[in-house]
Amino acid sequence: MRGALSLKPSYYEALKRLTLELAGVRVGSDHAFLVETRLASLAREDGFASLDAMIEELFSTGQTRLAVRVVSALVERDTHFNRDPASLDILENYAMEALAEVRGGGRVDILSYGCGSGQDVYSIAMRAAARRAGGELENIHVNITGIDYPSQALERARSGRYTHFEVQRGLSAKDLVTWFEPIGEDEWIIDPDIRRMVDFQEMHLLSGFEDLSAYHAVVFRGGLSHYSAPAQVRVLRGLAKLIRPYGYLQLGTGEQIGDMHFGLDPVPGAPGLYRKREAIVAPPEPTGKQPTERRTFGPRKGEAHRAQNG
Amino acid sequence: MNTTQHCLIVDESLMVRRVAARIIRDFGYEVEDTKSGQDALDMARIRLPDVILLDWQIGPMGAVDLITAIRGEPGGENVRVIFCTAQRSLETIRAALSAGADEYIMKPFDSDIIESKFRLAGLSVGRQVETDAA
Repeated sequence: MRGALSLKPSYYEALKRLTLELAGVRVGSDHAFLVETRLASLAREDGFASLDAMIEELFSTGQTRLAVRVVSALVERDTHFNRDPASLDILENYAMEALAEVRGGGRVDILSYGCGSGQDVYSIAMRAAARRAGGELENIHVNITGIDYPSQALERARSGRYTHFEVQRGLSAKDLVTWFEPIGEDEWIIDPDIRRMVDFQEMHLLSGFEDLSAYHAVVFRGGLSHYSAPAQVRVLRGLAKLIRPYGYLQLGTGEQIGDMHFGLDPVPGAPGLYRKREAIVAPPEPTGKQPTERRTFGPRKGEAHRAQNG
Repeated sequence: MNTTQHCLIVDESLMVRRVAARIIRDFGYEVEDTKSGQDALDMARIRLPDVILLDWQIGPMGAVDLITAIRGEPGGENVRVIFCTAQRSLETIRAALSAGADEYIMKPFDSDIIESKFRLAGLSVGRQVETDAA
C-alpha cells in the first residue's frame, strides 16, 4: 500500500489551490485522507502507475481534461436518498403544489445543481411519482435534470443502479419495494417510470450556465458553504438567471442566499425556499449626474430624460 | 421518570446482537438482547421496548408471531418494529411490511444504515442529554 497515503505536502497544497480556482470549492485541511483515497482510485482507473505519477503529469502538462477529472473527484460529496428531508418536504408541499396551481398543468422542469450520484434527483422524482400515484398533482409532468462535473458519480446516477448500502441510507423500505428491483446480489435498479422523469448532463458547475435552459425550480441543497465567497455569488447569480419568473430556488433548510437578493425573495415559512421575481428591473446607467426624485426607470422615459439633460 | 429509550434485539447470532447493540447504545438507548422469540416476548411483557430489532429466524416462534403478540400487548401498537435480516428479496420485504414492520434492514449493515432506519421509523437518534434540573 505504499503510495496510498504519501502525497507530497506541496502537491496537496497545489491541489487545494487548483480546486479553489477551477471549482470555487475549498477543500478542508482535514480531508487529506479522502483526497488521497479518491485520487488513488482515479489514478488506477486512468492507468497511472501511482497517485504521484498522475499528480506529476497534471502539474507538468497542465492538461485541462485531467484537471477537471481530478477536481471533480475532489469536490464529490457523499450523499444519500432524502438528504435534508425537511427541505424536500418544502419543495414538494410548497413549490411543486404552487407550480401545479399557477401553471395549471403541463411540464414542470426542475434542475438539480451538483447532483453527484443522483440520489437527490431520484428522491424528488419518487415524491412527484408518489403524489401522482395517489391522484394528486396529476396535471403536471415533473422532469428533473441533474448536472455535475463529468465523473464516476454522474455515470452511476445515469445508470440508476445503487448498492445494497446506498439503498438503505435515507430510503424507506416502502419506497425501496415500490420503486426498485434487485439486480444480482448487491445492487438495485430504479423503476423505468422514475428514470423517464430524469436526465443527467455533464457541466462545469462554475462556467456552464449559458448552456442550460430555463427551469421552474432549481434545487441546490447543502452545497453553498463549500464554495468560497466569490464563488457563492457566481453560483447564485448563475442559478437565479436560470429560474423562470415566479419559479423557485430551493436551498437546504439551514441555508440563505445572503445580502444580495439576485432577484429572489425568501418565501415566508419555508426555510431555504426563494421565489423569483416577475422581472428584474435593471438599475439606471450611472451618468455622474445628481440623483433625481424619479421612482421609475422605464427605458423610454429614462432615454428621454437623459436626452433632455444632455 | 425513566425516559431513556429502550431497544430489544432478537437474533440467533451472538455476533449480530453484539454489533447492533454497540451501535444502538451509542444512539443513547438501553439495549437488551436475546436469541429466542419466546424470551423476547417475556422480556417485552416486563418492559415494553420502544423499538424491537428482529431477524426472521427466531425460534421457537416466528418473527411474524412475535410481532402479532407484541402488538397485542397494552401499548404494543406504539412499538417500532425493524426487521434486520439477510433475506433481501422483494417478497420478504413486502411480507415484513404487511406483517406490521415499520422498517427493514438488509444484512450486512453498518451504523449509518441503522441510524437512517431508526430516523425513518420516527425514532430519536443521538445521546440523550440529562437535564435533571428539577
